[in-house]
Amino acid sequence: MKRKLKIYLPFVNAGIQEVATYRINWIFFMLGNALACFVSYFIWSAVYESGGGGSMSGFTMPQMVVYIVLMFLTGTVIASDAAYVVGEEIRDGTIAMRLIKPVSYNATFLFQELGNKLPTEIAIAAPMIIAVEIIRTVLSGEVQFSALSLVLYLFSCVLAYLINFYFNICFGFIAFVIKYLWGANMMKNAVIGFLSGTVIPLSFLPGALEKVFLFLPFSSLNYTPVMIYMGKYSGARLWYYIGLQAFWALFFFVLSKLLWKASVKRLTVQGG
Amino acid sequence: MITVDKLRKEFKKTVKEPGLKGSVKSLFRPKSEKVVAVRDISFEVAEGEILGFIGPNGAGKSTVIKMLTGILTPTSGSCTINGKNPTQNRKSYVKEIGVVFGQRTQLWWDLPLRETYGVLKEIYEVPDDRYKKRMAFLNEVLELDDFIASPVRTLSLGQRMRADIAASLLHSPKVLFLDEPTIGLDVVVKDNIRKAIEHINRQEKTTVILTTHDLADIEQLSKRIVMIDKGTNVFDGTIASLKAKYGQIRELSFETASPNAAEALGYDRHFSLGKDDLSVETEGNSVKVRFNSSVVPVSDMLSYTLEKINVSDISVKDADIEEIIRRLYGQGVE
Repeated sequence: MKRKLKIYLPFVNAGIQEVATYRINWIFFMLGNALACFVSYFIWSAVYESGGGGSMSGFTMPQMVVYIVLMFLTGTVIASDAAYVVGEEIRDGTIAMRLIKPVSYNATFLFQELGNKLPTEIAIAAPMIIAVEIIRTVLSGEVQFSALSLVLYLFSCVLAYLINFYFNICFGFIAFVIKYLWGANMMKNAVIGFLSGTVIPLSFLPGALEKVFLFLPFSSLNYTPVMIYMGKYSGARLWYYIGLQAFWALFFFVLSKLLWKASVKRLTVQGG
Repeated sequence: MITVDKLRKEFKKTVKEPGLKGSVKSLFRPKSEKVVAVRDISFEVAEGEILGFIGPNGAGKSTVIKMLTGILTPTSGSCTINGKNPTQNRKSYVKEIGVVFGQRTQLWWDLPLRETYGVLKEIYEVPDDRYKKRMAFLNEVLELDDFIASPVRTLSLGQRMRADIAASLLHSPKVLFLDEPTIGLDVVVKDNIRKAIEHINRQEKTTVILTTHDLADIEQLSKRIVMIDKGTNVFDGTIASLKAKYGQIRELSFETASPNAAEALGYDRHFSLGKDDLSVETEGNSVKVRFNSSVVPVSDMLSYTLEKINVSDISVKDADIEEIIRRLYGQGVE
């Protein structure tokens, strides 16, 4: 274990340096996300105003605001570029350079991405959580902070990230077949935006559909951590959803290994 | 050390009919055809040997290298390096080899070079003291000191290539694969790199497989070459035997004041030589005649030329390897 850590830790370092090199890109990226968050806020406030300001599918307007901010935070924390990166490496043939090193292909990506994300997590997570707490306290008039929820939320985020990462790796391997992934990636992001509850809370959906979506792996990405933080899950239900997350993380981890074994044989290094 | 036995690689390639109509058609019903990139190639390499692996563009050199390094899986046939099969247990296999692809880098684009080596040290599990010694050695041979603190993306091509070669040698591999290590480099850097490869081969008995389009690389480094064309092995032997087999070409060059000397001489008519056996090049006053000395003896050629026109400064030269290869690539080998 220690040996492994020693091998892969340098990749975290490499990832951090990458972000450091392209800081401005990162700032623009974060600004873009924040803008989307504001758009979402204005749409929902219009919806609530026309609905008379009451509770909708279990969400009051203040809760909706918290939901939007938390979705933004969670989305950033668990984001994974793996599908894009894997797809590009397959497309331009750089994947060959990873294959000549005695390391696991997936693991190098995982650790490099963790390095990419670490500065982001540190820069935004703490201020965002404080902001959420202030908003919640001001809007509801009482302190709702729970340390337990926060810890569970962070744990759930780790699982969600692993699901997201390994799902994206699996998705990226499609490039072995279709060569270029850009279009498929756009489609994937749109579908996941809906299925993971980023666009609208899943509880707004008709009962049967909600049940299906809640079982699918995508609700484990953004929806579960946010619901945990907001204290909507408790007791057996809480453990059921965390268990489901663990199941999906394991599922995609194993699937990525199998797909890798199957697809590396059909690798054709493009370009030279 | 390295045994390659009937190695074969086939690719599927989608074919498109020409024009817009063809594009639309291939969008809905892509047709694919089988392309054989490498056709049952066999050869062997002994320990400590430097093998020059040559062939025209698209001959399948890189595909063979990629199969030998475990990147591609052969369609059929086998290769064994150091008793190991590259596609089985990739991780343990690649620990024993070093690879440089001249057209790509294995260094981390955004990391300073020094840190890149630090990463490689961990990956290959090189102990601290060995690492220090190794870095000092590579530094001396490849002169990395000037740019070891710069990020890889800021290196010049020559620096990057030296850095890449150093990276491939950090773990003292038993076999080194170099795919066009001198591509796009100036003469001085080329020379340094050749010297470094030679040095390492001599000192550590590293087996080297080298592909290149620069035949000076081959002449300076390797005694033996394997030449492939269209995926098949067309020559396997020493450079001397290549010269003996295909090297009956001689080059006669002279200076003459007579205008249109080449036409006046009319070698092709006089000796009835075909295109394959004769080529004449005129540049101002100097004329270069390449001819097949097994068809026309050198003495006949000389006396005929001297008889016909006034020349100054005449000389006959052995064909260099480049000339031989040019002929082989141009006509294909039967």
